[in-house]
Amino acid sequence: MGKKMMRRIVSSFFSLVALVVMVFFLSRLTGDPAALFLPIDATQEMLDQFRELHGLNDPLIQQFGRYVWDVLHLDFGDSIRKARPAIDVVLESFAWTLQLALITIALVTALAITIGSIAAFRPGGLFDRFVSLVSLVGASAPDFWIAIVGIVVFSITFGWVPTSGTGTVWHWILPVAVLFIRPFGLILQVVRGSMLTAFGSAYVKTARAKGVGNRSIIFIHTLRNAMLPVITVIGDQAAAMLNGAVVVETIFGFPGVGKLMIDSILQRDFNVILAAIMVTALAIFVMNLLIDIAYALLDPRLRT
Amino acid sequence: MKGKRLLLGLMMTASAAASAWAQEAKDITVVLDEEVDLVEPCMATRSNIGRIILQNVSETLTELDVRNNKGLMPRLAESWEEASPGTWRFHLRKDAKFSDGSAFDAGDVKHSIERAMSDKISCESPRYFGDTKLETKVVDDNTIDITATPAQPILPLLMTLVTVVPAETPIEFTREPIGTGPYKLTEWKAGQSITLTRRDDYWGSAPEVTKATYVFRADPSVRAAMVAAGEADIAPLISELDANDAEMDFSYPNSETFYMRLDHSIPPLNDKRVRQALNMALDRDAFIGTLLPKGAIKATAIVPPTTLGWNPDVKVAPYDPEGAKKLLAEAKADGVPVETPITIVGRTNNFPNVVEVLEAAQQMFEEVGFKTKLQMYEVAEFEKQYSKPYPENRGPLLVAAQHDNARGDPVFSMYFKYDSNGRQSGIANPDVDKMIAEATAATGEARAADWKKLIAYLHDDVVADVLLFHMVGFARVNPRVDFTPTIATNSQLQLSEIHFK
Repeated sequence: MGKKMMRRIVSSFFSLVALVVMVFFLSRLTGDPAALFLPIDATQEMLDQFRELHGLNDPLIQQFGRYVWDVLHLDFGDSIRKARPAIDVVLESFAWTLQLALITIALVTALAITIGSIAAFRPGGLFDRFVSLVSLVGASAPDFWIAIVGIVVFSITFGWVPTSGTGTVWHWILPVAVLFIRPFGLILQVVRGSMLTAFGSAYVKTARAKGVGNRSIIFIHTLRNAMLPVITVIGDQAAAMLNGAVVVETIFGFPGVGKLMIDSILQRDFNVILAAIMVTALAIFVMNLLIDIAYALLDPRLRT
Repeated sequence: MKGKRLLLGLMMTASAAASAWAQEAKDITVVLDEEVDLVEPCMATRSNIGRIILQNVSETLTELDVRNNKGLMPRLAESWEEASPGTWRFHLRKDAKFSDGSAFDAGDVKHSIERAMSDKISCESPRYFGDTKLETKVVDDNTIDITATPAQPILPLLMTLVTVVPAETPIEFTREPIGTGPYKLTEWKAGQSITLTRRDDYWGSAPEVTKATYVFRADPSVRAAMVAAGEADIAPLISELDANDAEMDFSYPNSETFYMRLDHSIPPLNDKRVRQALNMALDRDAFIGTLLPKGAIKATAIVPPTTLGWNPDVKVAPYDPEGAKKLLAEAKADGVPVETPITIVGRTNNFPNVVEVLEAAQQMFEEVGFKTKLQMYEVAEFEKQYSKPYPENRGPLLVAAQHDNARGDPVFSMYFKYDSNGRQSGIANPDVDKMIAEATAATGEARAADWKKLIAYLHDDVVADVLLFHMVGFARVNPRVDFTPTIATNSQLQLSEIHFK
């Protein structure tokens, strides 16, 4: 297990380095930050001064060398747009995304596993059919539409929750609800399928024959064995959220890292793009490690 | 029953909480369309920054009044005169103080100008001065001479664009702007909100608004919904689709002019008949009230009608497809390659329906015999097509762009758009260069007359471009607030102009 972990750490490190090198050079091919930062009728003198101030006139390889040297000294450069350290900007945003992702994925996991397991226990029953319908609708509904409808219904019509923003616990309800729906539908389907397979296995039949209660069969004997594919899907969904929930962040004015990355790409704020990629990649890497550990805990064969 | 009570209780709690995010009596919330990265005073001419700090936190020596059409008004300067050719003397207020308690004097103005023009910092202000160099001389604490080289007849107007900061402000972007305005910045939650609080020691009369909180929402529906739900008081920019409540929604000229820049150096656009045909092929009326809002005005100049020297005698080219076909046939007979495909270059998300508008224009061009293709770019790629140096081997281009001028004088547009050396100019015409130089140097009525002549010459004689529409924006204002947006709302939002009903 230790060796596996080490191998993963080393391969993740090289992947991250390759990603940073690629993004560094490719992003610089896509446009000039001076033209985007300064107004469209800026004079040539202003453009030249801007490029000089931000080291954009130097050869690319020299810029890259300087960047690597600075990063090795934990200096990720300044955001051109915000005139402050890029890493501060990214960490502030990432904190919002992390909270949003953790809350949502915790709710999704708890509810999808519980409801999916119960639905699978009596396949074809009324509860199962209802759950399947709801989860399919949830998995295929567009975030944007749900968010706008949610605002119109719950904020404007009923006035129960604020339309958007941050500040109180009430502000989290709509964004979390919107973010919840799609992974909930997806994970619930996987839980249900995986549990159905497990219910058909010999050890469940034996347990039933021995008179073990339904609750024990579902939550003690079957669930643990059915969890491996579910954890994979949860990991994928959590990774997507850690990269930023762009639609939710944009509509609800959540200052998360997804919207920050999109804005930074559009504005060619290179240092922010790179810092955001490094932070999110690191988070996803840590999450993958946690998933590996979870696999090992659930399946003793993986511990060797 | 127990469940119902619980639900009812939750709903009541939520309703009670809802009132917690409603507004205090004289506090307002303004919801803007994009997050503010900076609140640097020397960047206040950028609209998203200007709406927050211009004349609220940071003031200028002079101010252009468009609300009451009073023209150039005093602000931190009480009066000014041309002391000698090229030198303007400004007499400053004696009672103004910065929000950090320090007194305002001529030394602050000197530093503010030098800072804004410095090559150690990328301020926006220099763009309005072009090649003009400024020198300042402090005469006494309340008097300053500003000399422009070459002489700048509209220097007092240009001073509406230079915000004043304390002399101690370092030459780097600040995140804590100190100004003489009626408000001070009291809180900035990055990415979430900025709060301005009214000062008790402001030199002018105290505005009604006690506190203004600015929040940022990219989606126009959400901005409109926030005002409808009472969470915000003003949304300066919402979409036409969301502007569906006559009690709350206003349309106003947003100072943008939509046009197609023609590259006169490349056939067939180097032929005047072809340029006329392009203008005559467009049924401009068909766009208004359909793809574009009803309030859009057909343009005959790159500047809106509120600008000095705007020429009411210039008429929009009539929609005449047959005439356009005839002109094209004449040009073709003379060997002009009218069948060369022309690329229409547009910018994604430039304004609502931009793609549909350009597709409709493309269709109209094709109906009279042009061969065109439409190419949409995001802003960085678009910029490469729009500003010099233009791409080599580019072929004939119609670059569809919006140009903003709410500054009251065409000088902020004409050089860039029409001078041979202008960064977005599609023409190289010595007569136009001369006329721009003359108008730029003129003052008073002669200046207005010169601009008027130039506008007519560009439109009728040169047929410089395909001018389309002066655009309108939509704002939503909470009925408790007494505020009517103007053309200036695109670039500033003075809290002192906001009252309560």
